[in-house]
Amino acid sequence: MIDKNIDQLKRLKLRKNAEMRLKVYGILSISLALIMLSTLMISIGLSGYSALQQAYVKLEINVDSKKVLDEKGGFSNQKALLVNWDGIVSNSFITNFPEITKRSEKRSLRALMSSNAGYELRQYFQKNPDDLDENITIWLSASDDFDQYMKGRFNTSVDEKDRRLSNQQLKWIDFLAMEKISKLKFNTSFFVNADSREPESAGILGAVVGSTLTLTITILFALPLAVMASVYLEYFAKPGRLTDFIEVNINNLAAIPSIVFGLLGLSVFLGFFGLPRSAPLVGGLCLGLMTIPTIIIASRASIRAVPPSIKDAALALGASRMQAALHHVLPLAAPGILTGTIIGMAQALGETAPLLMIGMVAFIIETPDSFTSAATAMPVQIFMWSDSAERAFYERSSLAILFLVGFLIIMNSLAVFLRRKFEKKW
Amino acid sequence: MVDKINNLKFKTKNVSVFYGSKQAINKISLDIEEKQITALIGPSGCGKSTFLRCLNRMNDVISNCSVNGKILLDGNNIYSDEIDPVLLRAKVGMVFQKPNPFPKSIFENIAYGPRIHGIGNNRAELTDLVHHSLEQAGLIDEVKDRLDDIATGLSGGQQQRICIARAIAVNPDVILMDEPCSALDPIATAKIEELMSSLSKSYTIIIVTHSMQQAGRVSQKTAFFHMGDLIEYGETPKIFTQPDQQKTQDYITGRFG
Ligand SMILES: Nc1ncnc2c1ncn2[C@@H]1O[C@H](COP(=O)(O)OP(=O)(O)OP(=O)(O)O)[C@@H](O)[C@H]1O
Ligand SMILES: [Mg+2]
Repeated sequence: MIDKNIDQLKRLKLRKNAEMRLKVYGILSISLALIMLSTLMISIGLSGYSALQQAYVKLEINVDSKKVLDEKGGFSNQKALLVNWDGIVSNSFITNFPEITKRSEKRSLRALMSSNAGYELRQYFQKNPDDLDENITIWLSASDDFDQYMKGRFNTSVDEKDRRLSNQQLKWIDFLAMEKISKLKFNTSFFVNADSREPESAGILGAVVGSTLTLTITILFALPLAVMASVYLEYFAKPGRLTDFIEVNINNLAAIPSIVFGLLGLSVFLGFFGLPRSAPLVGGLCLGLMTIPTIIIASRASIRAVPPSIKDAALALGASRMQAALHHVLPLAAPGILTGTIIGMAQALGETAPLLMIGMVAFIIETPDSFTSAATAMPVQIFMWSDSAERAFYERSSLAILFLVGFLIIMNSLAVFLRRKFEKKW
Repeated sequence: MVDKINNLKFKTKNVSVFYGSKQAINKISLDIEEKQITALIGPSGCGKSTFLRCLNRMNDVISNCSVNGKILLDGNNIYSDEIDPVLLRAKVGMVFQKPNPFPKSIFENIAYGPRIHGIGNNRAELTDLVHHSLEQAGLIDEVKDRLDDIATGLSGGQQQRICIARAIAVNPDVILMDEPCSALDPIATAKIEELMSSLSKSYTIIIVTHSMQQAGRVSQKTAFFHMGDLIEYGETPKIFTQPDQQKTQDYITGRFG
C-alpha cells in the first residue's frame, strides 16, 4: 500500500476533476460538430432525394418512317430536322382529353409536357429506327411544374393568377396521375445529361466529366512539380536566406484566397498564352497552382518523417543524394505525399472561385469530350442551379451537392486507406 | 603528392573539424594500418564519430560542418577535388550505431549497393554476390530460406549483420563501424565481434566503441580521444595495461567518462 496524506489526496481529487471536465468539454464539442454536420446533410438530403425521380407521361405514338429515313433506310438527321416532333407529342398528349376543343385550353394543356419531350422522342427513334411505323408506348418527360406538383412540392395555397399552374391544369394532372398515364419514375436524365434550360432534362454528367478532366490536369501538373520542389528543398537547397524566403512564401501561397489564382489564370493562361476560355485545361492549371503549396507542405513533412538513418545508409553505400532520395526516401514518403495530394485534390474539387474567373461558369449543354472543349465543374454547376428561378432546379442542386459530398468522402477515405495500406514500419 | 607507405591504409594529418564555429576535433594525426582493427575510444562527445565520418566524407552531408587538414587513403587526399565522395564511399563502407536496414527484402538490401555501382549485372551474378556477402557476414544459414522477407523483420543482431553484409557487398577496402554493438545483447555482440575478427583478414576495420572490453578483445590498435584531442595511440595491449598518459589511465580504469 502506498501511504497518501490528506494534501496528496486533495490534489489527486482536483486533478481528476479537471480531467473529467476536459473530457466532458471534448465530448460536448464533438457531439455539437456531429449534430451540425448531420443536420446539414439531412436537410440537403431531404430536399435533394426527390430529384432522383421525375414525372413522365405515357404516350401512344406512331411515326411514319418516310418522314425520317433516307433512301438507304438509315436515320436521316436532315429529314428529322424538318419533322415537328413537338407537334407529334402534343397531338398524342391531347388525345387523353377528347372533350377539350378550345385553342387556349389546348395551349395550357400542351404546356404540361416538357418542351424537350419532342427532342426526347427524336432521340428515341434515332436509336430505335425499327420502331417507326409501329404503334409504340413511350414515357416522355413532363414539365418541371407538373413534376413538382406530383412530388407535392408545388405551393397551391397561392392565389391562382400568381401560380405557374392554373386550377384547371392541376385538375388535368390529377386526372393523369389517377389514370396512371403519368408516373414518377427514376430520373435517368439527371445522370446521363449535361446542363439544360429545362430542369427536367438537366443532368450532372457534364459537370462530373468536366470536374474529372479538370482534376486530371491538376494532378498531372501539380504532383510532379510539388514533389520535385519538396525533394529539392529537403535535400539540395543550402540552408540560408534564400531557402528561408522560399519556404515562407510557399506557406504564404497556401493561405492565398483561391480567387487570386483565378485572376492569375485569367491574365496568364488566357491573356498571355491565349488558351481557350472555359476549358478544363485552364481550370486544371489554375487549381494546380492552388494545390501545389498544399502538396509541397505535405510532401516535405512526410519526407522529413523518414528516418535520416535510411538516407545515411544509402549515402554510405555510395548512392548519390539523388539516388538516396529517389530509391529510398520517396518510396517511404509516398503514403504521406499521396494523402496530401488527395486532400489537395479534394479541395480543388470543391473549388468554385478560380473557375468563375476563367469562364467555367458558362451554360454548357454538351458533355465535354476533350481538355480544351468548354466545360463546367460540379461546384460551379451547383452554384448555377441554386441560382435558377425554377423550383425543380433547387432539388437538383441539392442532389448535386450530395453527389459532390459523396465524391469528397470517397476521395478522403481513399487517402486514409492508402495511408494505412502503404505505411511501413521501421 | 605521393607518399605511398606500405601497410598504411589511412593517414590523417592535422585534421580539425568544426560544426559552425564550434570545434569538434583538433588536429588529429593518425595512421591506420591495412587489414587491422583499429578501435577509437573516449568519453562521450569527444569527437570519435566526427573523426570516423571524416574518413568517408559523411560529414559533407552536415551543412555547417567543415573539415581542415589532410586525409590520405592509399596516398590520395580524399578531400581533393578529384575525389568523388560517392566513389569514396564505395571504397570506405560504414556501419551505423543503430541497425538501419532498408525496409525492403533482405535480398534487395544486399543487392542495392552492387546494383548502383554496376557490379553484378545479371540476376545470377547478383544472387551469387548476395549469397557470398551473407556468408561472409555469417548470416547465410539464418536467412537463406527467406531472402524475400523484409529485412526490418529480423532481430536487432541479424539486422546489424545485414548492414555489415550490405557494406561488404560493394567490395570496400575499409569498413567503418560506429558503435555497432551498442544496441545489441551480449550474444549478438559476440557474433559481431567474431565476424569482425574474420573480416579483418580481408578488410581494414575502424571501430568506435564505448566498451573497453570490446576494444581489448577485437582490436590490434587503439586510439584514445578526449575533448577533441587524440591523447594516445598505440598497440591495444599496451594502451590497456601500461598507457603513457595519465588521462588514458584514468579513463580505462573508469575514473571519468
Ligand atoms: N551535427 C552536429 N552539429 C553540431 N555539433 C555536432 C554535430 N555532431 C556532433 N557535434 C558536436 O561535436 C562534438 C563531437 O561529437 P561526436 O558525435 O563526434 O562525439 P562522440 O565521441 O561520437 O560521442 P558519443 O560517444 O556520445 O557518440 C560534440 O561536442 C557534439 O556536440
Ligand atoms: Mg558517436
